[in-house]
Amino acid sequence: MVKKLSLSLAALAFSVVALAVDNHYILGVDGLACPFCAFGVEKRLTKVEGVTGIEVEVADGVVRVTLQEGKTLTEEQARQAVAEAGFTLRSFSVAKTGANDAQ
Amino acid sequence: MVRFGPWLGYGTLAILALLVVLAWAGGALNWHREPSYVLARHWGEQGHGRGQFNNPTGIAVTADEVFVADAGNSRIQVFDKLGRYKRGFGSTVLGRPMNLAIAGDRLYVPDYFKDVIHVFTLDGEYRRAIEADDGLTSPGGVAVRPDGTLLIADTYGQRVVHLDPAGKRLESWNGRGIGPGAFNYPTDVAVALDGGFYVADGYNDRVLQFSRDGEFVHKWGGPFAMNIHGPFKGWFSVVTSVAVGPDGMVYVADFYNDRIQKFTPWGRFLTAFGTLSQGPAQSHVSVAVDADQTLWTVNSDASRVERWRP
Repeated sequence: MVKKLSLSLAALAFSVVALAVDNHYILGVDGLACPFCAFGVEKRLTKVEGVTGIEVEVADGVVRVTLQEGKTLTEEQARQAVAEAGFTLRSFSVAKTGANDAQ
Repeated sequence: MVRFGPWLGYGTLAILALLVVLAWAGGALNWHREPSYVLARHWGEQGHGRGQFNNPTGIAVTADEVFVADAGNSRIQVFDKLGRYKRGFGSTVLGRPMNLAIAGDRLYVPDYFKDVIHVFTLDGEYRRAIEADDGLTSPGGVAVRPDGTLLIADTYGQRVVHLDPAGKRLESWNGRGIGPGAFNYPTDVAVALDGGFYVADGYNDRVLQFSRDGEFVHKWGGPFAMNIHGPFKGWFSVVTSVAVGPDGMVYVADFYNDRIQKFTPWGRFLTAFGTLSQGPAQSHVSVAVDADQTLWTVNSDASRVERWRP
């Protein structure tokens, strides 16, 4: 009985983590060294429902987007937000285990 | 039998003449007419604490203080001229503060995220937000005319708009393009001594000059000022800020070339100087001029304020 309960708890914990992993996204966008550009992309992504954090990494041409648990960002949403800011989405991926572990 | 010798010579001469004309038109044949400026002082580093910056984007000065738009930290920081921290404010209302302006005892802060111009006292007391009656779209820079009206570089709106202090639109210069008077993400505005104004036409890699009545007068930056960027004297690679000195000279932040360029009021190149970035970002994103012609810039890459003297 205890073993079953432990397994269930472990499965529950795993599923919570599995849900959470979908909340981090990595967008490839070139040409963001200029703050007028980086803030333009940031502003439009902020308007996507559930977005709680955006980090622009100029060196790698990468924008990391964090959403609330249970919320998702589709590639089309990302492409549209980046296009509205005047840029082209080069790549789109879901982070494996958090904002720092890209696929 | 056709003799090619003379034609080859004429052709070479014609090509050389064409290259000289193009180089002259683009300013590449300019030379420094003034000595370069010297970096006299700098302070700041990347971070979130006092005296630290996260993507600073704007600067303005008074007789004894330096105001910095610390955009990534959503605040204004104020220092004395030696770089000693004095105060910070605005974090409860600011999104991304950009190119600043000071007029009288007021600080004007364009907010790229909130689409308004915030007004503070120089002590940091919040007064109000000015909204355009037809809306702003990521304003990047502001200048205040002697009559108290505002000229705003409405960056994503692709226009420059003239507002009265209540936000009523008096005039606007619209349109994306490379023709005279058109813009490509304008980033800043500065009032000229003759009452006209200059526009930093960001991604057109040029500066536009307008008369006091708002008529387009002149443009400069690369060959024919038609969105051709480059590292030569008088050329630009994204213009992010413009300022006018007490003698009417024009200072331009030439972002991707890591330099400030100085021009006469009519756009004749005088000198250029700057700090090479260590990467990945670029250096000079904003510029301000003191009454004694000391020049102040914010270095985006190094997250610091720089003071330059002639």
